[in-house]
Amino acid sequence: MSTIETLRAEIDALEGDENPVRRLLSPPGILIAPMALLLLCMFIGPMLAIVVFSFQTGNAIALNPLEWSIATYQEVIGGMASGEGVYGDVLVNTVAVSITTTALTLIVSYPAAYALAHKITRYKLVFLMILIIPLFTSVNIRVFGWALFLVQNGVLESIVSLFGVQEYASLMYRRSTIILGTTYIYLPFMLFPIYLSMLSIEDTTLEAAKDLGASRLTLFRKILLPLSKPGIIIGSLFVFVLSLGANVEAEILGGGSIFTMASNIQYSFGYSQNWPLGSTQAVGLLLITVVAGVVILRTIDLREIAARGD
Amino acid sequence: MSTKHSSGLGDRFGDGLWYVYVGLVALFLMTPLVSLVIASFYDGRFFSIVDYEFTLNWYEAALTSGSVRGAFTNTVYISVPVTILSTIIGTAAAIAYTRYEFPFREQFKLFALLPIFFPLILLGLGMSMWASQINLGYGVVPSIIGELVWISPIVMFVVSITALGIDPNIEEAAKDLGADTVTLYRKILLPLIADGVVSGAIFAFVLSWNNYYIVSYLSGPQSTITTWIHGRMTQGFTPVVPAVASLIFYVSILLVIGAAVLEYRSVDEGE
Repeated sequence: MSTIETLRAEIDALEGDENPVRRLLSPPGILIAPMALLLLCMFIGPMLAIVVFSFQTGNAIALNPLEWSIATYQEVIGGMASGEGVYGDVLVNTVAVSITTTALTLIVSYPAAYALAHKITRYKLVFLMILIIPLFTSVNIRVFGWALFLVQNGVLESIVSLFGVQEYASLMYRRSTIILGTTYIYLPFMLFPIYLSMLSIEDTTLEAAKDLGASRLTLFRKILLPLSKPGIIIGSLFVFVLSLGANVEAEILGGGSIFTMASNIQYSFGYSQNWPLGSTQAVGLLLITVVAGVVILRTIDLREIAARGD
Repeated sequence: MSTKHSSGLGDRFGDGLWYVYVGLVALFLMTPLVSLVIASFYDGRFFSIVDYEFTLNWYEAALTSGSVRGAFTNTVYISVPVTILSTIIGTAAAIAYTRYEFPFREQFKLFALLPIFFPLILLGLGMSMWASQINLGYGVVPSIIGELVWISPIVMFVVSITALGIDPNIEEAAKDLGADTVTLYRKILLPLIADGVVSGAIFAFVLSWNNYYIVSYLSGPQSTITTWIHGRMTQGFTPVVPAVASLIFYVSILLVIGAAVLEYRSVDEGE
């Protein structure tokens, strides 16, 4: 117990102190410091590295303070603007994948989130568990599972062969297969924000509206939609941004034949060892991510989530 | 407009449809995981449900393979320190944010939670370039530090939600009754947020255990389970891969269910 006594005396001494350095060692300073230090060293630093390297030349892998260039920006933006070549394809694929994924996850999640919040009473925990478990399974494993399901001589083929279907076009290595993968992977990121905002709508509000003669459409337009809007915004931004970074899905399900922004960034870094080129594309992703992240965090009200309890 | 109320039978039928719908979504989410588990027990070249040949050989091969064991050891060396450190860092930040007033408090929250929303490929490759610039190098330790950046904010998020549910006047009351800072933490604050901290720690472990992107950029020559699976998926597939992936999945599922039970219990008590 003596160590605790000393600690106690020391912390109390610190708290009464007006010296700024010593004050930093008492709460909340000491509580903030590890997180702030970690993020400054390993989050801000890496993001700065991406920005700095995007302005370097050639195949620089060490910083050269004398040579700066916007050549890679001209290459990437020029390519995307003309809509031709690799970058034209990358832009079309990426936008197609991300927007379709966002739309599909929204369409699938919205009714499910409503049902979970207001209609499902029995086995609710079981359903929630099934929806949560994929979130905590490696993206590799889930994508691999889809590959096992879809490949020739895979699980799907053995199921449809039971119904006498023998020949059908291969489902792997297409853009729609990548979209299936990203829709699958990011579905929970849409579902849970909407579910949480649906929980804030009281069952009694819905009952009252029905009793007052609101039609289903009115109920949806005047009550459900406005009150679940924060969830829709958070979920959509979350899914959009995360699907921009979808690489494993494109790599495994697209078989390396369809390039998205993420797989192209990976390619620039890995195969062609061109850091400036990869960084330039990553800067685009970074800008979108920061804006979306700040909007999401300003929309989320932690206090409200805490108040909801279950 | 006629105010049409559906009959009891119709209501029940409608409710049934909602169950069917959510059931289908659940089925969709389970499809690849079930496929994986089915494949991991299957002995044979061409997959068939009709004459399914059950075997445990691939699991045995997975558990005795040297490269799998090495990858597994590395994963544990990364996950355990990440769990401990991220729980400490995240909990401390959550306590600061939820229980104290300080300048730039909201900005601190915004900054600290921002990494959660970053695509991991962005974090991974930024860290990879940064690690070479500051001579951090690649391996187990850089992987630990890298994962902390993503996982500590998630722990902070989880613990904050628990901590915000506690009466804000409780510290005042304790101090009025003569509790000093250490007593306040040991006897009041930490026990009250304990469930949140434990779920945060379990999430931290499972997320670190399954992390691929950050590790793939920072682990260098060391292979972890996820990079091992990825490597075998893209080149040199063997039937051992589904078994290894399934093993990883079983560990995750048990821990997530544990965390959920814990969370559910504390919610029940709170009501």
